[in-house]
Amino acid sequence: MNDRTAKGHIELRRLSMVFGSGHRRVQAVDEVSLYVAPGEFVSIIGPSGCGKSTLLNVVAGFTQPTEGDALLDGELIDGPGADRGVVFQQYSLFPWMSVRKNVEFGLRMQGVSPSKRETTARTLLGLAGLLAFENHFPDQLSGGMKQRVGIVRALATSPQVMLMDEPFGALDSQTRVVMQQILTNMWQRFRLSVLFITHDIEEAIFLSDRVYVMTARPGRIKAEIEIALPRPRNAEMMSSIEFTQILHKLRNLIREESLAAMGSELSDGGLEGFAIEVGAAGMKEMV
Amino acid sequence: MATVSLRAMQPQTADDLAPQPASDAGAPAPAPSVLLVESPAPAAKARADADPPLPSPVATALQWLREQALGLALGACSLAAMLLFWHLATTYRLDFYIRFTNLPTPMDVLQKFGEAMNSPKFITNVGMSLRRIAIGFAVAAVLGVGLGLLIGRYRLTRQLMFPAIEALRPIPAIAWVPISIMLWPDNEVSIVFITFIGAFFPILLNTVSGVQAVDAVLLRAGQCLGAREPQLMWHVVLPGAAPQVFTGLAVGMGVAWVSLIAAEMISGQFGIGYFTWEAYSLISYADIVLGMVTIGVLGLLCSWAIRLAGNVLLPWLQFSKSEGRT
Repeated sequence: MNDRTAKGHIELRRLSMVFGSGHRRVQAVDEVSLYVAPGEFVSIIGPSGCGKSTLLNVVAGFTQPTEGDALLDGELIDGPGADRGVVFQQYSLFPWMSVRKNVEFGLRMQGVSPSKRETTARTLLGLAGLLAFENHFPDQLSGGMKQRVGIVRALATSPQVMLMDEPFGALDSQTRVVMQQILTNMWQRFRLSVLFITHDIEEAIFLSDRVYVMTARPGRIKAEIEIALPRPRNAEMMSSIEFTQILHKLRNLIREESLAAMGSELSDGGLEGFAIEVGAAGMKEMV
Repeated sequence: MATVSLRAMQPQTADDLAPQPASDAGAPAPAPSVLLVESPAPAAKARADADPPLPSPVATALQWLREQALGLALGACSLAAMLLFWHLATTYRLDFYIRFTNLPTPMDVLQKFGEAMNSPKFITNVGMSLRRIAIGFAVAAVLGVGLGLLIGRYRLTRQLMFPAIEALRPIPAIAWVPISIMLWPDNEVSIVFITFIGAFFPILLNTVSGVQAVDAVLLRAGQCLGAREPQLMWHVVLPGAAPQVFTGLAVGMGVAWVSLIAAEMISGQFGIGYFTWEAYSLISYADIVLGMVTIGVLGLLCSWAIRLAGNVLLPWLQFSKSEGRT
C-alpha cells in the first residue's frame, strides 16, 4: 500500500504540547511519535482529553508544537493549506454558499475556472449521492448530508492527506454506520493518507489499517495495532472473529485509560462502590 | 365585531375552499394543501361533487388572510383611532393644558399634500434630503463596514483605532453641527457630514461584533481550503458577519434620518427638515404636519429598502435556525 502514492507521508517526531504556564501549565501531549504512510488509513483513539485533537491540529497547521517536529513529506508543517483536507467534528460548511459552491471553494481559491470547478464539484457530489442537493443551502440538509458535503469539499482540491477530527461524532448511530461505509468506499477509491481521530473503537477498526491508542493526559502512544482485515470492508466484517478479537483487545486497552482518566475525579473507594474493577495499568496511572 | 364574524365563518369556509377529490368520493383524498388536513373528512366527501376544486395558491392566500385577519383589523383600528382623535381634537379645538387650538386637521394636511405634490419647491426639498441621505449613508456604509472588518479581525488595528472611536462615539451627531459648519467649506457638505456621523457608528460597531462572532471553525475551514488572508476576509469573514452588518445598516439608516432632520432644521437650506421648520416660522401649520409625515414615510421606505436588500443578498438566512428573519 505504501508505494501506491508517492506523496502524503505524515510524521510526528517526539512531539510535545504544553498549554499555559506556571501552575496552570498543562502537558497535553508528551513525546508522541507516529506516522501515516502514503495511502494509509490511520486512526488515533483514546479517552477524551488525551490530546488526540491537538495532534490533528498540529498536522493541520493550526497550532505549532511546543517541542518536536511535525512533517508532511519530509517538510516541516508551518500553517494550514489545501494539501491537507480537514473534516471537522462540528459542521463547518459555509452557510451562505450553496452545497456546490461549498465544494468548489478550495478550487476557487486556487483560481480554477468556474466551468472546471463546477465539473469537479458535480462529479464528487454525484459520488456522494448529493447531486440533487447541489443548490441547497447547508442549513437545509441533515447532519449526515452536511458531513458528506464536508468530506467531498475536503476532497475537491485533491489533497494528499485527509485529517478527520471525530467527523461522525455528532451523528446518530444509524447515520454513523452508513457514513463509515461511505467513507471506507471513498477511501478505497481515492487512496489518500488519512489521519482519523475518534473515540469509537469499532469505527476505528472498521476504517483503519493501523490504530494508535493514546493514554490519558498527558497523551502518549500506548499501543499501535495493525488491523489486518481484508479490504474493501463491509458491515458484515464487524461480526467476524478477527474483528471481535481486535475489538476485545482494544477495549481492554481503552478501558484502562478511561479509568485512569477518571482517576482524578473518583477515589478508589468510589470506583469500588460502583463495582468497577480497576486494572493494574489503570491503578498505576491513578497513583 | 368584524373579526368575530370572520372567525365564526372559518371552519365552513375552510371546507369550501379545500380542493376536493372530484372523481371518487370513496378514495382517500390527496392533500394538495395544508387546508385539507384540518377539515373533517366525511363532510368534505359529501360535498365533493358539488364544489369545484379551487387552485391552491388562492386557497393559501385566503388562509393567510384569515390568519392575519385579527392582526390586520386591530392594526386598522389603531390607526383609525389615532386619526379620529386627531380629527376631533383639532375640529373642536381641544384645550386642556395640551392645546390643539392651532393644530391643522387631517383634512387640512391632506389638502396640503395635494398642493405639495404639484409644488416644485416641496419636491426639491424631498430630493435634497434624499440626496444627503444617499451620500452620507453610502460613505458611512463603506467606511463603517471597511473599518469594522479591520478592527474586528486584527488586534493591531483594533488597538490603534478603537480608543479614538470609543471617544467620539458617545457624542450625538447633532452635537457636531456647529463644528461641522466651521469644518466644511459649505453648508451642503456639513449636513451630509452630520448624516454620515449618525450612520457611521452603528454600522461600524455592528460590523465589528459581527466579525468577532464569525465561527472560528469556518475560518479554519477556509484556511484549510487554501484561502489566504484577503480571500478569507472577502469570502468568509464578510459573509459571516453580513447578518449583523445588515442590522447595523438598518440602525444606521434610522440614526442617519434623525441626524439629517436635526441638521437641516438648524443649519439648512432646503431639505424636508428645513421645510418643516420653515413652516413653523411662516405659521403654515399644515405644512409642519405634512413635513413630519413625509419624514416618517421616507424613513420607513429607506428602512424597507435595507431590509429588502438584506433578504435578497442573504437568502440563506431563511433556513438558518439561529439567525432566521421573518
